[in-house]
Amino acid sequence: MSKETAILRNLSIGTFVVLAGWLLPGAALAVQEHGAPEGIYLHQGAHLFFVASMGLLIYWLRQRRLVREPGWRYIQYAALFFIFWNLDAFAAHFLDEQSDILDTLPAGFGQIRIEIGDYPAALAWFYYLAKLDHLLCVPAMLFLYAGLRRLLKDAGETREGAGPP
Amino acid sequence: MIASFWPIVIVDVGGSLLMIVVSFLCIGLARRLRRIDPQNVIWTYLFWLCLGLAGFAVSRSVGHIIKQALVLADHKEIWADIRPFSGAINTFMFVFLASATLFFERVWKVYEQIAADKAALQSAHAELLNLNQNLELIVSERSQALAVSERQYRRIFEVSRDMVAVVDSAGIIRDLNPAGCRMLGFECGSETPRGERFQSFFERPAEWDELLASVLRQGFVLNSEVVLRRRNGAGMHALISASLDRESKGSDSSVHLQVRDIQERHQMQEQVAQADRLASIGQLSSGIAHEINNPLGVILGYTQLMLRSEPSDSERFKDLKTIEKHVRHCKSIVEDLLNFARRAEPKKEKVDVHRTIEDVLSFIRQNSGSGRIDFQTDFDRRIPPVVLDEKKIKQVLINLLMNARHAVGARGTIRVSTAWKAPAGPLEIQVADDGHGIEEKHLKHIFDPFFTTKTTGEGTGLGLSLSYGIIRKHGGEIRVASKPGAGSTFTVVLPAQENPQVKPNEAFDSDRR
Repeated sequence: MSKETAILRNLSIGTFVVLAGWLLPGAALAVQEHGAPEGIYLHQGAHLFFVASMGLLIYWLRQRRLVREPGWRYIQYAALFFIFWNLDAFAAHFLDEQSDILDTLPAGFGQIRIEIGDYPAALAWFYYLAKLDHLLCVPAMLFLYAGLRRLLKDAGETREGAGPP
Repeated sequence: MIASFWPIVIVDVGGSLLMIVVSFLCIGLARRLRRIDPQNVIWTYLFWLCLGLAGFAVSRSVGHIIKQALVLADHKEIWADIRPFSGAINTFMFVFLASATLFFERVWKVYEQIAADKAALQSAHAELLNLNQNLELIVSERSQALAVSERQYRRIFEVSRDMVAVVDSAGIIRDLNPAGCRMLGFECGSETPRGERFQSFFERPAEWDELLASVLRQGFVLNSEVVLRRRNGAGMHALISASLDRESKGSDSSVHLQVRDIQERHQMQEQVAQADRLASIGQLSSGIAHEINNPLGVILGYTQLMLRSEPSDSERFKDLKTIEKHVRHCKSIVEDLLNFARRAEPKKEKVDVHRTIEDVLSFIRQNSGSGRIDFQTDFDRRIPPVVLDEKKIKQVLINLLMNARHAVGARGTIRVSTAWKAPAGPLEIQVADDGHGIEEKHLKHIFDPFFTTKTTGEGTGLGLSLSYGIIRKHGGEIRVASKPGAGSTFTVVLPAQENPQVKPNEAFDSDRR
């Protein structure tokens, strides 16, 4: 087969495909569509992934007996509070998405109304407290700070062999 | 349920600000940790984790603050537009942080491996250092031991009474101890024969060639007797042991020599041999003399009887006188032989040795025409009277002084001295001259009967042998030291106190020992 013959053959196939797409229109199913719920699913999944990674971190710290050292022990507490915070955020986000169960409405200056229908009032209070998630993530950060500070102190005392135990 | 909105707002905004502040404080701590040990992979990991956490805190907190601000300002629609972006960034930061946390174990394993390798390296380094230090210590101890050993062997080399020499295969002296220097007649400090050929000190150089050939052939030579020649030309009998050192540095082998001076022993052996020889000759001579003495007496008696009956002017009388004269001469020789053979016992009495010497010197001065000869005396006046046969001792002294006078010729010095090793030692009488001396080859024969270097008619060769016999009979000995051209010294050694329990020969032997 000559070079000219091959070029003509490729051009014929391309022309046929373009004409077929123009003359026979339909839904383009090659790329999946992403609706609004995917964002919250991904976010919730990220929270669970964060919980799992913090759990693994605690497991490794304990398995290697690093928690005997105060610095790593504080970091373990930080991971524990991050787990609590992630669970709290996961729950808050979940309830935010349940519009048929729970709804929040303004109730005057500085007031909000939490509508929970026939569900127990405790759910409203749980939701209210869950919204105070910084009470969990800020202690987590403070424990991390305390742990690093202790590690820095220990490393400074044993400057020659600075490093984790 | 209705509740206050403000706790949520305050906790949200305050918490968000705290999250930002604390996260950046964590970055600062992690950075300081990394500065302490930049090679520590855990600190590096924590630093980057804190950076991610700060990013998460900033994105989330800023979103929350903006949200609260817009809600309070009643701009919820704006927040509705921003919310998806803020949520997406927060989600991304969650995933990033969680993923980074999952690497903790892997990073920790890497750290452990590095720490283990580092510890192993440090351990190996410490072990090497320790080994190196120990090696230095061991080497130092060995060096000290070697130095002590070297000093000890050097000391043996230096204080040895025998010559210890190292010569190369060409026979050049490479090292020589002080005893060797002295033995060869060199001053130990200033001059040594190093660099000279050892063969040059051999009386017979061929002996060195034979010795070296034997050493090279069989590796050693034991107690080979040779005669060495000192620097001043004096001979010295010596025993040489030699061994080949094939392990010397370089390709050349060396020969180690140990040389023992046996000159004194050799002289003593010669004296003993001479004494034995003289004893044998004396025994033979005395036998012959005894047998000849009686016929000579008969001849002399009959000659004298015949002389009585002959007129003094007759020819026969003169012939008989000639016979009588020669018979008397023969009898004199026979008597000397008998004296030498000790057949006649000395007649001992207490004698002042110095007066005896003075008498003999006076006699010599008067009767030997020795006017230009200087007679010197040096007497040890402590010598007590000694029991001697004075006539015999005078005869010995006359013999020695006449020989000395003959040796110095017309002009010279003869010195007579005495010495006593008080209180029980022997006394010595030395007769020394500065005459022509005695050749070495004659020294061993001078006490032999009838041995003389004088021309015919000047001496019978019995003087010294007779003297030898007399002195031996007194339990003493007679020695000679001579150097051709420099004179001779005869030393008569006599016991100062007579001990009748000790036979003369035994006395001589015991003194010799």
